[in-house]
Amino acid sequence: MDITLNVNGRPEQFSAQPNELLVERLRDGLGLTGTKVGCDTGQCGSCVVRLDGRSVKSCLVLTASAAGGEVATIEGVTARGGELSGLQEALRQEHGTQCGFCTPGMVMALGELVDATADGPAPTEPEIREWLTGNLCRCTGYHSVVRGVQRACAASRDEVPAGSAASTAAVPEV
Amino acid sequence: MTTVTGDAPAGRGGVLGQPLDSREDPQLLRGEATYVADIDLPGTAHMAILGSPVAHAKILSIETKAAEQLPGVLKVATAADFTDVMPLPCIWIPGGVESHFPPHPYGLPGARPVLTGDTVRHVGDPVAVVVAETPRQAAAALAAIHVEYEPLPVVTRADEALADGAPQLHEAVPGNLNAYWTCGDKDRTDAAIAAAEVTVELDLVNQRTINSPIEPRGAVGDYDPATGEYTLYASTQGPHNHRFLLAALVLGIPFNKLRVIAPTVGGSFGTKGYLYPDMPLVLLLSKALGRPVKWVDTRTGLMSSTVQGRDHRQHVTLAGTRDGRITAVRCTSYANLGAYPSTIGPGVATALMGRSISGMYDIGAAFCEVYAAFTNTVSLGAQRGSGRAEAAFLMERLVDRYADEIGMDPAAVRRKNLVPEEKFPYDNGLGWTYDSGNYRLNFDKAIELSGYGDMPARRAEARTRGKRLGVGIATYVAICGVGPSTRMSQEGMLGGTWESANIRIHPTGEVTVTVGSASTGQSHGTIFAQVAADELGIDPATVQVHEGDTQKAPYGQGTYGSRSYSMAAPAVVLTARKLKAKLVRAGAVFLGVPEDKVVYEGGAIHEEGNPENTKTFAELAMAMWYGWGLPPEIEPALDETTHFDPPDFNYPFGTHVAVVEIDELTGETEVVAYTAVDDAGNIGNPKIVQGQIEGSIVHGLGQALMEAAEYDENGRLISSDLGHYALPRAADAPFFALDKTVTPSPHNPLGAKGAGEIATVPPAAAVVNAVVDALRDLGVRHIDMPLTPEKVWRHLRGESQ
Ligand code: FES
Ligand code: FES
Repeated sequence: MDITLNVNGRPEQFSAQPNELLVERLRDGLGLTGTKVGCDTGQCGSCVVRLDGRSVKSCLVLTASAAGGEVATIEGVTARGGELSGLQEALRQEHGTQCGFCTPGMVMALGELVDATADGPAPTEPEIREWLTGNLCRCTGYHSVVRGVQRACAASRDEVPAGSAASTAAVPEV
Repeated sequence: MTTVTGDAPAGRGGVLGQPLDSREDPQLLRGEATYVADIDLPGTAHMAILGSPVAHAKILSIETKAAEQLPGVLKVATAADFTDVMPLPCIWIPGGVESHFPPHPYGLPGARPVLTGDTVRHVGDPVAVVVAETPRQAAAALAAIHVEYEPLPVVTRADEALADGAPQLHEAVPGNLNAYWTCGDKDRTDAAIAAAEVTVELDLVNQRTINSPIEPRGAVGDYDPATGEYTLYASTQGPHNHRFLLAALVLGIPFNKLRVIAPTVGGSFGTKGYLYPDMPLVLLLSKALGRPVKWVDTRTGLMSSTVQGRDHRQHVTLAGTRDGRITAVRCTSYANLGAYPSTIGPGVATALMGRSISGMYDIGAAFCEVYAAFTNTVSLGAQRGSGRAEAAFLMERLVDRYADEIGMDPAAVRRKNLVPEEKFPYDNGLGWTYDSGNYRLNFDKAIELSGYGDMPARRAEARTRGKRLGVGIATYVAICGVGPSTRMSQEGMLGGTWESANIRIHPTGEVTVTVGSASTGQSHGTIFAQVAADELGIDPATVQVHEGDTQKAPYGQGTYGSRSYSMAAPAVVLTARKLKAKLVRAGAVFLGVPEDKVVYEGGAIHEEGNPENTKTFAELAMAMWYGWGLPPEIEPALDETTHFDPPDFNYPFGTHVAVVEIDELTGETEVVAYTAVDDAGNIGNPKIVQGQIEGSIVHGLGQALMEAAEYDENGRLISSDLGHYALPRAADAPFFALDKTVTPSPHNPLGAKGAGEIATVPPAAAVVNAVVDALRDLGVRHIDMPLTPEKVWRHLRGESQ
């Protein structure tokens, strides 16, 4: 079937099998390999992209069901080699990524949280952890990711990051 | 006088020990890194693997015709297509290798063939492969291959596999026993136990776990008929090691015709250092088809094809005095190697575990025996903290049990038995000689930081909320820096385990560092640049780091056992020192002064006492490239390599304290506070190490609370995907209280000890100790992991399982 998708602001037209998954279209069809596949059961969150603004696991979405939608992938967050977004920059400062395989999915999912809370109080630590429930990371233990989100939220509100105490106190000089 | 000496402490450049941001992170955060699944060579065909659906059976026939006729299918292959390929070798054979010229481990009893032809021995055992135009076509064709199996009896537990009448896995291995291995002094230990005032015993199950890196494994094979060269791209921890295993031991092709490239690797934790059938298969099929062949595992495939970890059943005994002095520890362990000996699995199950069981304690007598058995399960391998975590678990459970028995505080018992500072280097009587340590300092710091003294009040307060609070301590020593090659041969390792580094200073003054190691997410590009820059006294931003490609990098074993910073980084330091020494010798020419008046400082040289007579780093680099006027004994250019083989291992250690709250109604265990004080010697980049420690602790908590690879009575893996195998999520742990002590290792010029995985060693023991503490008044003395809410709830109700 013929399908139109808007991907990272660019209209894409192609024909897809009815059983094609969105993640296959992005990675194999459009060459957008920033979105990762870590499982086959919708558990790991490596494949999270935003569809019409909401985070979705693209391994659980049929391309056909996304037809006409707006898809944002990690490639659309920043230009190749370009300046990092506020969230990415905060994650960088907190070393919120190690092997990086879970990271694009995390950035996409957390981007929605940061956007959704932009006009109100910053999300609390439990709220951030709860939001991350669908994203598995085996390297970082999540703490640096949580601190990164706290930092990003504080920066966008011009505050001292809530997590900064935790991050600097963590390995004091002996 | 020159400032170049062989043993000067590193760190003079001022950039080591600094929490520099990881230079890898921006690329990863933008999703720009290339993992193996992202590699797309022109003309690539796709491979899928058919794994056995049954745990143990004879293969009566394999019918592939129907699959061959499906659209897009290029080839269907079975064991019959690979009769001239050697089985996958095991290169860590417990017991030691005495000869300088050990035989190749061809035909090792039980070795896994590249595809299984006669008998399948675990669910997922690969019996056939399909190569097709697309991954979907390849996967679809698997369903059209018809295999007729004749079921055989199944055994999934090591102790049961060794019993009389147990199903037999390999004809060449009667009784399923791969190795009986011991360390320590049996007679002395038995005597100490017989004579003891107090003895305590425990039966422990260190359950099988699955490492589960978030990136499944993958491999791309690319054969070039014009040159006869093979290229393998693989998610590997050790590209050089894989080249050795494949070229020399499996394919029998010249070393220089195989290139192995590790692209960005999405986590490993021990699992991606092993040789798997898919690696030779993509190479052989690429040659057969004249196209690149790519295979990427699924998560479900990973669960039944990638090595699993831990899996010991143990009977352990500790003896001591009434006043808390430990006098002996003994362990009898049944280790489950799975269906085939993996690349180094037998060594993990024996030496890595057994020689560590006495931990941080000064015990007069210790003995460990391991029966390593084959069963109808996935092969056993390493798992973050492997061997050492199993050892810490048994010892730290025993110490708590002992403290309980004699009515003494578990912290006081531990403190009393720590190896005193003046005894280092310390021979632990089990085969390790600990290099350095200040255990009391470390222990006291953790106890204080955890607020251990406040626990009674916190316990009472928790009760008012319907929660039972428990506190658990675990200490550990982790053998790292694998390793000194000769020492490893005594452990049965077939292979040199040294590391190497090359540094090239370019004409314009920039520097390229190439190491044999290979990152699986540890920011090697950042840390090795830091090490080189520090030693050379230059800006780390001018240093590029390359690794992971056997055609470009010097030999090295790769990343495992927390060895990159204490094995490869010292090679970088020593190489930088060679370059500095050369620059000082050449500097005598450039400055027109005798060599002993040349001072190398801050990346430049100057005449001693005359800073005006100086040459910058960039000037030196260019001059050395020109090579004009150099005396014949100084070669032009700046390009040096070092192979670093340390005198012995290094031994990081630490103390962790877990505080848990158990919900009286649901049995749910929440880790409410966690303190970790680790000692990894001198640390190169505290920010990167902190990340590794946090991740390691959460990994360890996972084993304590939720992770288990479970097989049913037919040997089917129940935990076959992430819906059936629980991994810790972001809400499963609070922020940790972290601190460190620093006891440099004397075995490398950085004073470094392993760090990457050490914090996975104690958490399981700390958490189980805490939960048992919380339930002690109910008469609970032990609970097997994982501590699921149901299990704990049954204990709360007075029902043991
Ligand atoms: S790949 Fe989509 S959730 Fe794992
Ligand atoms: S950074 Fe490796 S899985 Fe998250």
